[in-house]
Amino acid sequence: MRKFGIVLKYELKEYFCNKAFMGLTILLAAIGMGLLFLPRFIDMSNLTGVKIVGDSKEESEDATQEETQEKFLYVDQAGVVREEVLVQMFPQSSWQKAADEEAVRAAVEAQEAEAGFVVTSPTSYIYYVYNKSMQDSDAMMFEQALKMFYRMDYCETSGLNLDEITSMFDVAVTMDWEIINKDTGSNYWYCYTLVILVFMLIVYYGQMIAVSITNEKSNRAIEVLVTSTSPNSLLFGKVVAGAVAGVFQMGLILGAVLAAYQVNREQWGGMLDMLLHIPTEVLLAFGFFGLGGYLFYAFLYGAMGALVSKMEDISKSASGLMVIVMAVYFFSLLQLTNVEGTMIKVLSFLPISSYSTMFARIAMGTVEAWEIVVSFLILVLSILGAGFLGAKLYRMGTLRYGNPIKLGTALKDLSKNEN
Amino acid sequence: MKLEVKNIHKSFGEKEVLHGVSFQVEGGKALGLLGRNGAGKTTTIRILMDVFHANSGEILLDGKKFVPLKHRIGYLPEERGLYPKRTVLDQMNYLAALRGMKAKEARESAKKWLARLQVSEYEKRKLETLSKGNQQKVQLAATLVHNPEIVILDEPFSGLDPVNSQILKDVVNELIQEGRLVIFSSHQMSYVEEFCDNIAIINQGEVVLDGELHKIKKEYGMNRLMLAAENLSLDQLKERMEREWQDLVVVSGRKKEFLVLELQEGKARRDVLERLAQSDMIVDKFGAYEPTLNDIFVTKVGEQG
Repeated sequence: MRKFGIVLKYELKEYFCNKAFMGLTILLAAIGMGLLFLPRFIDMSNLTGVKIVGDSKEESEDATQEETQEKFLYVDQAGVVREEVLVQMFPQSSWQKAADEEAVRAAVEAQEAEAGFVVTSPTSYIYYVYNKSMQDSDAMMFEQALKMFYRMDYCETSGLNLDEITSMFDVAVTMDWEIINKDTGSNYWYCYTLVILVFMLIVYYGQMIAVSITNEKSNRAIEVLVTSTSPNSLLFGKVVAGAVAGVFQMGLILGAVLAAYQVNREQWGGMLDMLLHIPTEVLLAFGFFGLGGYLFYAFLYGAMGALVSKMEDISKSASGLMVIVMAVYFFSLLQLTNVEGTMIKVLSFLPISSYSTMFARIAMGTVEAWEIVVSFLILVLSILGAGFLGAKLYRMGTLRYGNPIKLGTALKDLSKNEN
Repeated sequence: MKLEVKNIHKSFGEKEVLHGVSFQVEGGKALGLLGRNGAGKTTTIRILMDVFHANSGEILLDGKKFVPLKHRIGYLPEERGLYPKRTVLDQMNYLAALRGMKAKEARESAKKWLARLQVSEYEKRKLETLSKGNQQKVQLAATLVHNPEIVILDEPFSGLDPVNSQILKDVVNELIQEGRLVIFSSHQMSYVEEFCDNIAIINQGEVVLDGELHKIKKEYGMNRLMLAAENLSLDQLKERMEREWQDLVVVSGRKKEFLVLELQEGKARRDVLERLAQSDMIVDKFGAYEPTLNDIFVTKVGEQG
């Protein structure tokens, strides 16, 4: 245990005395925090809907209306358009009647107007737009407006009261939420973000750990090391140091971002809640399963690093592992909308996937306490298993230079105790 | 302290590379492990250090199974290597701590050995910035930093210039004087001859000769004489020996300044002296011939092919 501590300390020093590592960590944390403090110093009311003036804030809709007004053109060939209705239905926009269809087209093409509508009859129109975005809802809104013109005309000619009819059809209904278990809708985005985060941790830092182990073979220090202490101390020390460094870097950046958002949540109008206002129990589940899975893969990456002696061979050696990580990642994201499915339940007990699937089930679905305990125990035992197997591969890989050793060959040699 | 290597066999795949290697060495003495390239010296040392596992055979220290990690061993591998991007002192402290030293003790010892090997000025420099010779000295300091009781040096002189070789020679001599058990392999026979009380010559995975060096030399020198004459060149002397003295001696070798003669069976040095006295030769050199280690090595390894 003492030797493990010595290796851990030495390896941690490698990370924490590395100016690039520390500099990048602080820089990213500062950038994250800086971005979240922006609404305090820059008017971002068009994005957040909240205007900050000194320490007081006020709704800014009126003040910014002029700046953000979108210009629309229309041609009314059917004589049904009522501009006051359009202004009401399209807030923060200005409407202008164009001479003809060609004028609408030319203005849109020259990007002088956001869009143009040519009403050819009370129930048909042509929509002119320069680039149709994925979130474009102008046509749908205009369609609603056209329907309104039709109803208004009909009521006027038939002597009916439109307000009365409307209030009868669109009777206001009120509702209060009472969620007994999980709010899947709001937890979805936290889970999505955190699954991506663990994936990044595994791939980026796993590779870093593999490199640090291969490095010892390539600089030939490994023979001195394995004759100075046990391979278990060496591999556990190196992998845990890499894992601690990864958690430190990611934790500091994430912590800074979450803290900065908490401080500035009001200024953001709560618009990033779905990403950054993560409940404590979700963070705890992430802490245990996410970091457990990360450690499990870190040992496997360490073992893969021990099977090669040249840096350029690491990606070849770790490609199989990468396929598993990627498959679990995509499957986890796909299954976030089906956390009660059988497949995700099975995967939530496997150490290769419980880091994301059990975590997602805890955050978004119904899961029994015993399931969490069993899954976590399996994960812990697998971490230890991966660690000891990794140490054996590390020891076996000592002085085996040249071509990468295939995992199958390595395991076969291990079973024969060949070295 | 007595280290015994007994009947070690080692195979890589189907090929057996060591066929029953045995030797022994005691504390306060040095064993020179000699052999041609690929003879099995480094494999033997790696088995000794538990880097490789032997297929059969045993290694005992004072009669008990030898487990390297349980003893303070200073091992200088043939493949030199430390951390190129870390400072000299940093990695010396690390290795000393890994081998059981407390932090303060490790720091003091690291500084002592760096000073002894005349590389103190580089203690805060990254290893990769040092010359190859200085890196080699740092590696040796790292080998000895924890004051090992057993020192195993695989080709320690390779890559060292004469001045640094002298420093290393002095250090090895000190280690022997202090009672450490020293094993080292080398191609340079003169170094082995200088330090080692015992030698083991390995050839093609077998120990072909081992024992105390002075006894081996005596044995190899027995019945051999050296002879040179002022009034005859070595060629002339050789011709005369082969023509007129073949009942008494056989010319078994030729050195720069004398011939090496081997007595025929049943003959003694006195017989040669008597014949010399009767001859017209003006004797320049005459005496018992003591072979160099190089002669013994070449003879022994040559015999085995």
